[in-house]
Amino acid sequence: MARLAIRNLVARFPGLDQPALDVPAFDLDAGARIALRGPSGSGKTTFLNMLTGLARVPEGHVTWDGIDLATLGEGARDRWRAANVGLVMQDFHLFPGLSALENVLLPRRLRWRGAEKGAREEALGLLRRTGVPRPDQPVETLSRGQSQRVAVARALLGRPAILVADEPTASLDAEAGAAVGALLTDLARETGATLVVATHDPELIERIGRVAHLTAGRLAA
Amino acid sequence: MLRFILADLRRAWPGALAIALIIAFATALGITVTLQERALRLGSARAADAFDLVIGAPASETQLVLSSVFLQPAPLPLMPGAVMGELAADPRVAWAAPIGFGDAHEGWPVVGTTGALIDGLGGIAKGQGFARLGDAVVGARVPMAPGDTFHPVHAELAAEGEVHQGTTYTVRGVLSPTGSPWDRAILVPIEAVWQSHGMEAGHDKEGDARHHEGALDADQPVNPAAVAAPNAPGVPAIVVRGHTIADAYNLRQHYRGDRSVAVFPAEVLTRLYGTLGDARSVLSAVAIAAQALVAAAVLLVALLHVTQRQRQIGALRAFGASRGVIFLIVWGEVALIAAAGVAAGIGLGWLAARLISARIEAASGVAMPVEFAASDLGLVLGLLAAAGACALIPAAIAYRQSPAAALRG
Ligand SMILES: Nc1ncnc2c1ncn2[C@@H]1O[C@H](COP(=O)(O)OP(=O)(O)O)[C@@H](O)[C@H]1O
Ligand SMILES: [Mg+2]
Repeated sequence: MARLAIRNLVARFPGLDQPALDVPAFDLDAGARIALRGPSGSGKTTFLNMLTGLARVPEGHVTWDGIDLATLGEGARDRWRAANVGLVMQDFHLFPGLSALENVLLPRRLRWRGAEKGAREEALGLLRRTGVPRPDQPVETLSRGQSQRVAVARALLGRPAILVADEPTASLDAEAGAAVGALLTDLARETGATLVVATHDPELIERIGRVAHLTAGRLAA
Repeated sequence: MLRFILADLRRAWPGALAIALIIAFATALGITVTLQERALRLGSARAADAFDLVIGAPASETQLVLSSVFLQPAPLPLMPGAVMGELAADPRVAWAAPIGFGDAHEGWPVVGTTGALIDGLGGIAKGQGFARLGDAVVGARVPMAPGDTFHPVHAELAAEGEVHQGTTYTVRGVLSPTGSPWDRAILVPIEAVWQSHGMEAGHDKEGDARHHEGALDADQPVNPAAVAAPNAPGVPAIVVRGHTIADAYNLRQHYRGDRSVAVFPAEVLTRLYGTLGDARSVLSAVAIAAQALVAAAVLLVALLHVTQRQRQIGALRAFGASRGVIFLIVWGEVALIAAAGVAAGIGLGWLAARLISARIEAASGVAMPVEFAASDLGLVLGLLAAAGACALIPAAIAYRQSPAAALRG
């Protein structure tokens, strides 16, 4: 379970007069679900990068369960994210040449202590749950919908307390998008993960139930 | 982690193979130069080892050694025949044998000498030595067997095909292999050479022998005393072995004068290598430069490859991989390809040196030992260290890749 508190978060990029992101205060309860909506270039990805420690917090505080990401270095943010965050992106970022199962396990295996005991069984269970029929199928032969299912399974391995998705259905057809959207919300509910999804997809927004609007870097509930 | 590297290599195998091959060829170049140079040096030193001392008329010492040790055909001035008699009587001499060049048979040099040289070269392996003037003993590589006969030709006239029609030798024995150019020689009694060139004892016709061509009396028995006679014809070279090393040094001292020169073949070879030393360092400099160029090219390819895959690499980190592990993987992958190339290059270089040596061996008779030395380990370790150091650069680039930028694509 993870609780989020953001204070005075400001992110600027060189060449832009306005800050790309300006969030004086934003809170989420543990296990909450929220959709983030806004036009392209409004700062959604920048916001998610701050939430997940993918980028440094330049100004202000992003605190998850008392841990302020602004105080962590790059390596520490990597470790925190590996332990707490499951990520699903618009592009699947699957590693060609490996099977679906190996792709789910890959980020865990590429750690000093390797994957936990039982990770393989957990991954197989997740692939079954997300509806990937053949775990040993090479990922380059999967359809787009199946690829995103593998990515969802990868995000959920290790039961992260935080699930973050950046336009997870944008590159899928309506049917596959609906299935992936359902998986994300159902699995977040099942595991009790706090879910943050940047999306334009009305069906997904409705499924999540709560939406925040981002316009030119400013949030409005 | 290793499985991941292998899976990645399996996917990109044509490129990896091409790079490993390029590294292998560059490595092989350096290894071949090193091994071949060593084989030449060791091989010629061992060939020169058969004789302690070579004595000849005062002229080029280098040519004297090249002619007597390597049987290189070249006209040598003659020494007075009395020198051989003196050496035969010298108590410091274990054995001494005159050698007379000038004839050949189908490209195999025919050398006039005495039984002492046959014993000195290691003796007869098959058949017997000289008994009569028409007898011949062939080196281990000469394709003739006891019972075969031949007519020699003047070496300098061989192209015109002037055969000593009146001269017929019969092969009586085969020498034990020596690993020296003498394996390609046909040995005949030196008296027979004198007779067939009209240079009987006491009628020394130095230099114009071929105008006085005589017929060989093949059945006349060999007379060892004729060679040591004070009025014996002149000879171009005498090879000598002393009883002790001190004797050899004394003899060398004694026979250096205006009548003759005496040289240790090893000493002349060392001098020769001294002058060739520059060529050797040029050659290894070329090999090193080639290796450096290849290292640069490989580095470039590795950088392109990593840059191309920055997204994948960064994404792995975003999804929870450790960046230290990613560093290690990229480093390991590049280092693995390079190490495989170096290993293959060592084998390839050895093979090339063996092939070159086999050709030189067949042409010259000098046995070429292609062998690794302890110092080669330094070369190989140096190459591996350089490969490992180069691999750090793409690894560092992968390490520094921002995961957020990678996801943005
Ligand atoms: N690395 C960057 N450097 C400069 N400008 C950036 C960078 N990342 C994002 N931006 C800018 O910040 C703004 C917000 O971008 P982003 O968070 O990607 O928006 P969204 O995800 O809502 O489309 C855009 O104007 C974009 O051009
Ligand atoms: Mg975006």
